[in-house]
Amino acid sequence: MMVSKRLLLYSLILSTLILWKTAVAQEYDFEIPVEEETARLEFSGNLDAVWGILRTNPASPFYGLQFFDQDKPDEYLSQYRLDFYFNSDYRYKQVGFTMRTFSQYTKEEPIDLSFFELYGSLNLSPRFTFSVGKRRYNWGKGYAFTPVVGYVNTEKDPENPDLALAGKSSIYLKYNRSIRSNLIQNLSFTTIVLPPEAEILDKYSNFNDLSTAFKLYALMNNIDLDFMFYAGQNQTRRYGMDISTNLRENLEVHGEISYAKNDYIHLIQDSTIDMIKRDGFSYLLGLRYLNSLNITFIAEYYHNNSGLTHSEYKNYLDFLRDNLSSMDPELISFSKSVMSTSFRNKNPMQDYFYLKASLPEPFDWLYSSFSIFTIYNINDNSFMLSPQIGYKPFTNSEILFWPSFFFGNDDSEYGSKQFQSKVEMWFRFYF
Amino acid sequence: MRKNKLFFFVILFSFSTFIWAQESIPVSVKGNAILKKVDEVLAPGSMEYYRKLINEEPNGDKKEFIFYSVKKDRDKVAMLYLAPASDKGRATLRIGDNMWLYIPNVGKPIRITSMQSIVGGVFNNADIMRLDYSAEYDAVKLDESGKEYVLDLKAKTRTVSYDSLKMWVIKKNNIVEKVECYAASGKLIKTLDFKQVKDFGGGVVRPAVIETTSPLYRGYRSIMIYSNIKRKKFPDEVFTLDYLSRLAELR
Repeated sequence: MMVSKRLLLYSLILSTLILWKTAVAQEYDFEIPVEEETARLEFSGNLDAVWGILRTNPASPFYGLQFFDQDKPDEYLSQYRLDFYFNSDYRYKQVGFTMRTFSQYTKEEPIDLSFFELYGSLNLSPRFTFSVGKRRYNWGKGYAFTPVVGYVNTEKDPENPDLALAGKSSIYLKYNRSIRSNLIQNLSFTTIVLPPEAEILDKYSNFNDLSTAFKLYALMNNIDLDFMFYAGQNQTRRYGMDISTNLRENLEVHGEISYAKNDYIHLIQDSTIDMIKRDGFSYLLGLRYLNSLNITFIAEYYHNNSGLTHSEYKNYLDFLRDNLSSMDPELISFSKSVMSTSFRNKNPMQDYFYLKASLPEPFDWLYSSFSIFTIYNINDNSFMLSPQIGYKPFTNSEILFWPSFFFGNDDSEYGSKQFQSKVEMWFRFYF
Repeated sequence: MRKNKLFFFVILFSFSTFIWAQESIPVSVKGNAILKKVDEVLAPGSMEYYRKLINEEPNGDKKEFIFYSVKKDRDKVAMLYLAPASDKGRATLRIGDNMWLYIPNVGKPIRITSMQSIVGGVFNNADIMRLDYSAEYDAVKLDESGKEYVLDLKAKTRTVSYDSLKMWVIKKNNIVEKVECYAASGKLIKTLDFKQVKDFGGGVVRPAVIETTSPLYRGYRSIMIYSNIKRKKFPDEVFTLDYLSRLAELR
């Protein structure tokens, strides 16, 4: 009897405790948010520590202008720099924020921080994407070159096409639609509005410099097709298309063509800078091929209609040489300004051929890779040759040994570079 | 007596017809039916899953990758690299014979070929973004040995990575045990061993581990481990070039 009373008492206490706990739990309990409702902030990036030895080319007017008024440098120079890329991505439901920054350290002085990308996006559905801000676009199918560079792309460096680049201030809207048909599997339409960069008092720009670019993409019968259009009141009107497809399990081919109406080109005529208008087509043909030895080849031919002919390039070099020989600081300064504004194209001439061969883990060297590429200027028969040996000793780290050699006569593009050759060691760390 | 004889002939005729009908089902039809069942076991419809890829090198060192993948229909696969940091954010898409790679730095998808290997090791791109076997191969020969089917498969087109496959399948549950991949010359390129059958829930019971070796990569071994396989429906637009940079939204 005594035992049953005790049991009853314990049961009552236990029940009261459970009820009280439940009441408290009901009041303060909450549901753990499911994955897709959780805001997500991610950071990533890499640090490139680059040490280079450069052999100067005293015959080059670029060398002369760059080192004008400096103590005569040695034949060999060294350069040490740190390139720091820091990325941040925030996402909450349909809202996204993207930031990609770049800063370079060469010596102890205030470091400039560049925003390569800085935009907010509304991903309304898998079909609609909208963003506002500075965003990088990379239209076209070319690996080293692209004829559609005048639309929304920042010109890439054919010596390092995979390098991150700065974007453009823009408003971006994309509609993307899959189609269940045998002919067309996917269609998308992109509109990009590009406000001009602030030029007036570093704050304002002319409203008429606003431009717009459109792109229609289709995956048609296993072929990627893009049709592009770019226009603005004060801008060169451009029409273009590109194509790529896999012909075999180890062979991809691609091509691009772009027509520019009234493309502005700077030339040196009678020792003065002239701006002419030129209409015409730029185009590219390329392939990617993997052979039985596991070597991947990338080959591209590029015709750049807004580039210079050999004689036009020689006039440009003569113009720089004449100003340099005058030893006039004002002319020297003017020449430097011309180099960085009117003649700053990465591919200044008309016809190029690019060939790259790469092999992962040659001779069974673990974590290593070997590649070699050449860029051949068909107009003046100058070229650069650059082998690269890579090694990844640990996860998220990479070491590159990267020499480059430039060949050609003094009046050629690669023969007139300010350095005859360079050897670089890259130490790359990812996080 | 005549009735009995007639009855006997009718039975004999029916039985012979049945036997003949059974034997006349072409091997390819039966083999392809088995192949479809194999696909249903390995990748039952639209789903998402995580995978860890371990590339073992001859010196014993390992490289590891983690992928988030989504699949729809027989021929659509998209994959996002989650680790290591050096590859994080990369994404690949496969629609039939078409294959693209998106690298955040480059900012656009580029076409890649199925025989290349983005991750190194024994697995090539087609292995990592494998479609349903029945989407790429036809059964041309079927052997039965005890508890197994042995299928000889031939590539439907020349763009498929391997010219032919030899596949061992357990009869009772249509789970694939082993696949040998051959070049057009008849040379063995690699062997895939399917191991550790696991119940992932939702009716998904399949091997959780695939070990791959190749006579072309002596001393190398690649191991793919499956995790968190869930049935999930996706709009078709997820499997487009424009969505590659947004794949992380699906997680």
